[in-house]
Amino acid sequence: MNAPELPKSFERREAELPNPLPRPEGEFEALKKAWEPPGWISFVTAVNNTYVGLWYVATAFLFFILAGILALIMRVQLAAPESDFVSHDLYNQLFTMHGTVMMFLFAVPAVEAASVYLLPNMQAARDLPFPRLSAYAFWAYFVGGLVFFGTIFFGLSPDGGWFMYPPLTSTKYSPAENADWWLLGIGFIEISAIAGAIEIIVGVMKTRAVGMSLDKLPVYSWAMLVFAVMIVIGFPAIILGTLLLEMERAFDWPFFIAERGGDPLLWQHLFWFFGHPEVYIIFLPATGMVSMIVPAMAQTPLVGYRLVVLALIATGFLSFGLWVHHMFATGLPKMSLSFFSAASTAVAVPSGIQVFAWIATIASGRMKLTTPSLFVIGFLFIFTLGGLTGVMVAMAPFDWQAHDSYFVVAHLHYVLIGGMVFPLFAAIYYWVPVASKRALSERLGRWVFGLMFLGVNVTFLPMHITGLIGMPRRVYTYPIGMGWDALNLVSTIGAFMIAAGVAVFLYDMARNFRFAGEDNAGNVWNAGTLEWLPNGNYATRSIPSVVSRDPLWDQPNLSKDVEDGRYYLPGSATGGREALVTSPFDARPQYILQIPGPGWQPVLAAGFTAAFFLLLTVKFVFTAVICGILALGCVIWWLWETDPGPVRPPADIGGGIVVPVYVTGPMNHSWWAMIVLMVVSCMVFTCLIFSYLFLWLVNPGAWPPQDVRLPGWLWPALSAFLYCASAVLIAVASRQLRGEDRRKPRSAPVLIGVSLPLVSAASAVDLWTQWQTGLSPSAHAYGAAVYAIMSLQIFFVLTTLIMGLYTIARWLAGKLDSVRRTTFDNTMLFWYYTVGQGLVGLLVVHGFPRLTGGI
Amino acid sequence: MTGRRTGQVLLTLGGMIAWAVQFTIIYAATSTLCGRGWADATLLGIGVVQFTILSTTLVTLAAAAILLVVSLRAERQGRHQPVSATDSFLCQTSVLINGLSLIVILWHGIPGIILPACA
Amino acid sequence: MWAVPVAGCSGVQSALDPAGGDAWDLYWLTIVMTVGATLIFILVTALLLYAIFSPPERRAWLGTRRTIIYGGLAFPIVILSLLLPYGLIGMRDVDVPQSGALQIEAIGEQYWWRVRYPAEGEQADFSTANELVVPIGRPITVSVTAADVIHSFWIPNFGGKIDMIPGRINRFNFTAERPGVYRGVCAEFCGAQHARMAFDVVALEPAEFDAWRRMQAQPAQEPAIPLLARGRDLFRAGGCGSCHVVRGTEADGQFGPDLTHVGSRRTIGAGQFPNNIGTLAGWIANVQHIKPGAKMPSYGSLTGEDLRAMAGYLESLK
Repeated sequence: MNAPELPKSFERREAELPNPLPRPEGEFEALKKAWEPPGWISFVTAVNNTYVGLWYVATAFLFFILAGILALIMRVQLAAPESDFVSHDLYNQLFTMHGTVMMFLFAVPAVEAASVYLLPNMQAARDLPFPRLSAYAFWAYFVGGLVFFGTIFFGLSPDGGWFMYPPLTSTKYSPAENADWWLLGIGFIEISAIAGAIEIIVGVMKTRAVGMSLDKLPVYSWAMLVFAVMIVIGFPAIILGTLLLEMERAFDWPFFIAERGGDPLLWQHLFWFFGHPEVYIIFLPATGMVSMIVPAMAQTPLVGYRLVVLALIATGFLSFGLWVHHMFATGLPKMSLSFFSAASTAVAVPSGIQVFAWIATIASGRMKLTTPSLFVIGFLFIFTLGGLTGVMVAMAPFDWQAHDSYFVVAHLHYVLIGGMVFPLFAAIYYWVPVASKRALSERLGRWVFGLMFLGVNVTFLPMHITGLIGMPRRVYTYPIGMGWDALNLVSTIGAFMIAAGVAVFLYDMARNFRFAGEDNAGNVWNAGTLEWLPNGNYATRSIPSVVSRDPLWDQPNLSKDVEDGRYYLPGSATGGREALVTSPFDARPQYILQIPGPGWQPVLAAGFTAAFFLLLTVKFVFTAVICGILALGCVIWWLWETDPGPVRPPADIGGGIVVPVYVTGPMNHSWWAMIVLMVVSCMVFTCLIFSYLFLWLVNPGAWPPQDVRLPGWLWPALSAFLYCASAVLIAVASRQLRGEDRRKPRSAPVLIGVSLPLVSAASAVDLWTQWQTGLSPSAHAYGAAVYAIMSLQIFFVLTTLIMGLYTIARWLAGKLDSVRRTTFDNTMLFWYYTVGQGLVGLLVVHGFPRLTGGI
Repeated sequence: MTGRRTGQVLLTLGGMIAWAVQFTIIYAATSTLCGRGWADATLLGIGVVQFTILSTTLVTLAAAAILLVVSLRAERQGRHQPVSATDSFLCQTSVLINGLSLIVILWHGIPGIILPACA
Repeated sequence: MWAVPVAGCSGVQSALDPAGGDAWDLYWLTIVMTVGATLIFILVTALLLYAIFSPPERRAWLGTRRTIIYGGLAFPIVILSLLLPYGLIGMRDVDVPQSGALQIEAIGEQYWWRVRYPAEGEQADFSTANELVVPIGRPITVSVTAADVIHSFWIPNFGGKIDMIPGRINRFNFTAERPGVYRGVCAEFCGAQHARMAFDVVALEPAEFDAWRRMQAQPAQEPAIPLLARGRDLFRAGGCGSCHVVRGTEADGQFGPDLTHVGSRRTIGAGQFPNNIGTLAGWIANVQHIKPGAKMPSYGSLTGEDLRAMAGYLESLK
């Protein structure tokens, strides 16, 4: 079933609006009822972005404060040489947790959280396309994050640095569970970040105001799109890295142990392939916020919109060519380092573009010096300085001196505090009137800014010198008489100034933040974008059609008309929660997406998922497995309510546009999400293949090692045949499931049922073949890599199995037919992916050693 | 997403993709040749590492240049005949991205004429 | 607590006080970039303030797309096109292996440094620890690796750092130009006592270096007085020889630092404390209190008399 690709009427800019007044009796009430938040006890079941978004931001901020307190303790310790305020053991946990919590539990979640709240508002969407997924991501993060942080009170926190370099973090040198907390805790929080990223990509591409074509997309949406794509490409590397390191710790598979063919540098490649883009993952959303705040404060459109978009996209690409600049001192060939030097230099250009775009915008308007403006100015000042020292460390020879010294501590805090924390504070002061009945205090805001701005510079400016005169990072103390004492004392004083600023901010929040349903403070800054439309839990009453980037400035009376319901979809067509899905380029209405409402499933699923990972960390394997099964059960329960099918005929959303309430195929939002998930999976697999090739490279003459016998061609060929056969059967099933007549062919479940054993047999045959040759996963990195490829494949096959059985169950329950087939489509896409990955895996494992012939 | 849109997206991101290809090839080649001790061979009188870097740079530079010309031409066309705002936006952005890519690719070729292969 | 100053004065571990050719190159790179960055920073800040505070009609020229093209695109491209080749040439010219260089091997271990001088000509090979002694004017190549976890070898006054990675051998090349005492430090977090993992670098005139080298290759001195002989016996009886080497005696353990000429070193505990009888005695009795997590146990049960004897013996191993 397809929606009309080009409705005729909406491109005309006639004075006539899509829906006439007066609106029918009860339409607005029905809309409000559909979006009513859950009551007292079950408030945790809310999934709506206005609730989840705020909880999410608040939790992220809590971690900012907690990690900040850890930093203060460290600064007290370093205020004087040879101090014993804290022990070396605690200090090592403190700096590990400070870095880890700030990066993984504050920075990434904070920007993701802000977008859960802001994106739908800014695009005049009723909600994100997968609200329960946001709720799941939030609760998983909330529970997992708090337990992870709690380890500091028991001395169980990881103490190997936020970068967790093996062999220091391998079983031999870190036998305790501290490292496992990091690996499982963070690996799990990454998964939550990826869930959020999938949501954001589909949200930006598919749920926008009518007519908000790519050239009218708010810069913030662009930034979040690039952000989410970067997460999808970059985070799989760290997920794979943590998997490999945990497998090494748990089963002694020697990926990073040099004596058995592994290499500690493999971890560094995987970690920094994620870790450097991570910096820009944090920075880009912040620039997106600044690009929204500056025009509002200067009361003029952003100058150089296309250049800013160019900068965002270019940063997204180039940031993946920087990772080795964290490894300049590892002794790689200078030629290899130089490419990363060049990319690190190049990435300064897009940042320059953005900085000058803001300066030009400020110059073309009239900047009001409000608190958001002050934070933006502070951001420009601090970030420019951090960016310039960034260019300095991009020059490898200079970095050989600066690397792992306090110079780098100074640089990274300038970039991250300047580039992310200041914009975030600007954003909070700027957007609180959307969420609260009262704006924050301008008077207190100036104090917050003043204290933080001075504090940051007092803390970190001296550190440039401290580093160049020889103080290395991550030391719990330092000797007397090195000339570092005074500088360190100054830094400590600065740190407490920052803390004072944050304290004033908390006071301001407590005094002025009052959650607003429909009675928010309103457009206090006279801004031009859609989040300032009057809104409630249902977002805007009707979904506007926009003709410019700053619709509130360029379309007079827009607020009133939207609020009166004169634009699209002023009520609820199906009686439930809905969003209007628009085409990705031109934002033409495509269909009405039926959105799920409050439910216990995401909370419970997240709780059990967190319990699974956390219990696994403390080696309560049995309880962990039970929690894992419960989590899976909750997810299936949750999914069972999705894919509602065409519950009513296509609906008129106004202006003569009639759109269906259910579509399948490439136009469907979950099809998009599945494609993104496949990209994530593909990146995990690619990183694994890279690891395999990397281990080959460091093992000249031993690939496979002498005592390993490669299995013959026959078995892998059989395995490949089985994979292909199962894919063919699924394709046949898909053909059988076609037609507008809502047929339910019996052949569909049968074909799926037959494919299931085929795909399972394929991976089992491969595992058995390797097992037969006596290949050991722990004798040499070769075996470890081969078994890792097979293990990942088995995981995918098991997932396919569950999806296949679920699809059959849907058919049996009468919830699957030739029209209502989104469930089948998703299973099919995932099935093809699994088969493809299996075939590539076979080719690499059996083909590559033959190709290179043991060299 | 229709074929025309896919083409536009590829044109918009093309320069950066060319850079990504260049980067992957030169980094993988340098690592492999140096890691395996195969870097002593020469091609056309220069070391095999330098040869790979320079030839890859030239090819990807040419690709980015072609993309720039194509996007410039599309952009000029867009000025004469009415196109949708989305189209003209994508065209203009692709000119900028392809232009920037040229410089970035060029920068990545510079080490090939300055540095020794594997030291 | 006798946490006395080890360094004496600042500058012994500073990238801003170069004592070798490469360090000078890096120093000038630092200066050039710092000055450049400062100028650019001032320029950007000035433009920003101008954009905010100057009268609207005077700043109108700044509020256009042209500003971004020139300031954000063209200007960085020009500057960086100059900086990148400068940086790459710097990269090519520093840390270059020279023929005829003095070869030294350094191995990072959890919280100390094993140092070996391979045989060269008629000079025999020998091991030492936590101290790098080099002649001035002669190129030096230090081959580094690690025995356990990753460490990083950094002597700021002589140039950049190089990681010590298990299973890999990296090389660091430099030439000392100025005699003196400098300090090197571990720059990669390596566990509990990463903060207390430093070493002395002593740059000597070539003749002094040759003398030092000959002396180090000798076996350990015999105790000259009974007290020291008693110290040696206690050293033997305490099982110290199962971890430490004292060449010329039966102590031949390989786990800990070579103590054959421990008395000749400037500091103990991996660059932590000045070397004298008092600190040596304190170290033996209290190592787990001073440097908790180090591999050596505290020998707190020794009597004061025994401790003095043993420390005296070690101190006499010049």
